[in-house]
Amino acid sequence: MVTAIGFEGSANKLGIGVIRDGKVLANCRTTYITPPGEGFLPKETAQHHRQKVLSVLKQCLEEAGVSPSEIDVVCYTKGPGMGAPLSTVAVVAKTVAQLWNKPILGVNHCIGHIEMGRLITGAKNPTVLYVSGGNTQVIAYARKRYRIFGETIDIAVGNCLDRFARVIKISNDPSPGYNIEQLAKHGKKFVQLPYCVKGMDVSFSGILTYMEERTSNLLRSGFTPEDLCFSLQETVFAMLVETTERALAHCNSSEVLIVGGVGCNVRLQEMMGEMCKERGAKLFATDERFCIDNGIMIAHAGAEMFQAGVRMRWEDSGITQRYRTDEVETVWRVD
Amino acid sequence: MGDEVQPKEQLKINIEIPFPDKRTARIAYDVLRVDKEPKRSGVVKNLSVNETVLEAEFSALLARQLRVAINGFFDKLDLIAETIEAIGPPVSDSYSHY
Repeated sequence: MVTAIGFEGSANKLGIGVIRDGKVLANCRTTYITPPGEGFLPKETAQHHRQKVLSVLKQCLEEAGVSPSEIDVVCYTKGPGMGAPLSTVAVVAKTVAQLWNKPILGVNHCIGHIEMGRLITGAKNPTVLYVSGGNTQVIAYARKRYRIFGETIDIAVGNCLDRFARVIKISNDPSPGYNIEQLAKHGKKFVQLPYCVKGMDVSFSGILTYMEERTSNLLRSGFTPEDLCFSLQETVFAMLVETTERALAHCNSSEVLIVGGVGCNVRLQEMMGEMCKERGAKLFATDERFCIDNGIMIAHAGAEMFQAGVRMRWEDSGITQRYRTDEVETVWRVD
Repeated sequence: MGDEVQPKEQLKINIEIPFPDKRTARIAYDVLRVDKEPKRSGVVKNLSVNETVLEAEFSALLARQLRVAINGFFDKLDLIAETIEAIGPPVSDSYSHY
């Protein structure tokens, strides 16, 4: 039986969670929300985490109702992500590990998403689409690693959506992507946008530039913000479904799992579901509690690693802004 | 670039931080020593712990570089102190999972 606490703070979400044997005991989160038209920057995001981290930690421990002595391992996000927020949260995780005299374990953020998705949905060996504000990857498991089959060659799909939300100045609360999704439901007219799949990889920066340059003209010529949100979503999600379908066919897999913040977009789930139906595959997705960055996914992935015997030397308990999904050997997976 | 005169000599600052006891001084040292200064910061940081005192030695060519590194150092130190205050005193006399 492993009880783990996880600290996540690689982007604008600060999350701390406690898990025991796959059972979520507490999952607390707070988000740094910027005014419309503005994104979040490393320094300000780190300050936000700095101000909130101890109150979130207290709340999490109260909710979980476990005493520190019952915790087996303290887990934190080692990377990838923004340096300053990562290191702020890591400082607290390390201090807590020392105070409680518990081992510390750095977890790859992407692995956290995948393992949490598998735990919640029960997917066994899925082809994974990991889509968020910082990452866009099509992943499949083979021989002890999560291998990247395709990814973005520039910005993440969530970054494209977030920045378009800034162009049309919609609210960042609860998240720009959520607000785009709601507007898109009322879109009627489709604007043809660049479609940018390059082999197994995708590209979003050109689409974003296209939108940035033309939005004011399009709005003047009779398109509504709703139409633009709709068109952007349809285009970028089609690209993601296309590459995921190819990976699915290549791996002869029968499961697709969507993880990451963009993964709770219901329209993306619908489109992916349709593709899966045509191929006789099963789609797995989770809701915002587990899709959007959270502490529990770090705790869970860390607990899996810990149980499989992974230990980290204290000297290695730093952070790294770049940390690829396929760098981690998945010793906890037996297949 | 160019408007800053590159002094030849390294600027140095030594800081001593007293702690109430050996164990907390050691915790602060352990937490802080893991984070290396960014490669392009131009700062060399040396940490050591002597009984209840945490000793930090910073050197760099430019005062600006030193300022950035020391601000970051104190931010983290402050966070460690607050964490100890919030979580309570260490449960053991030493850490057994290095």
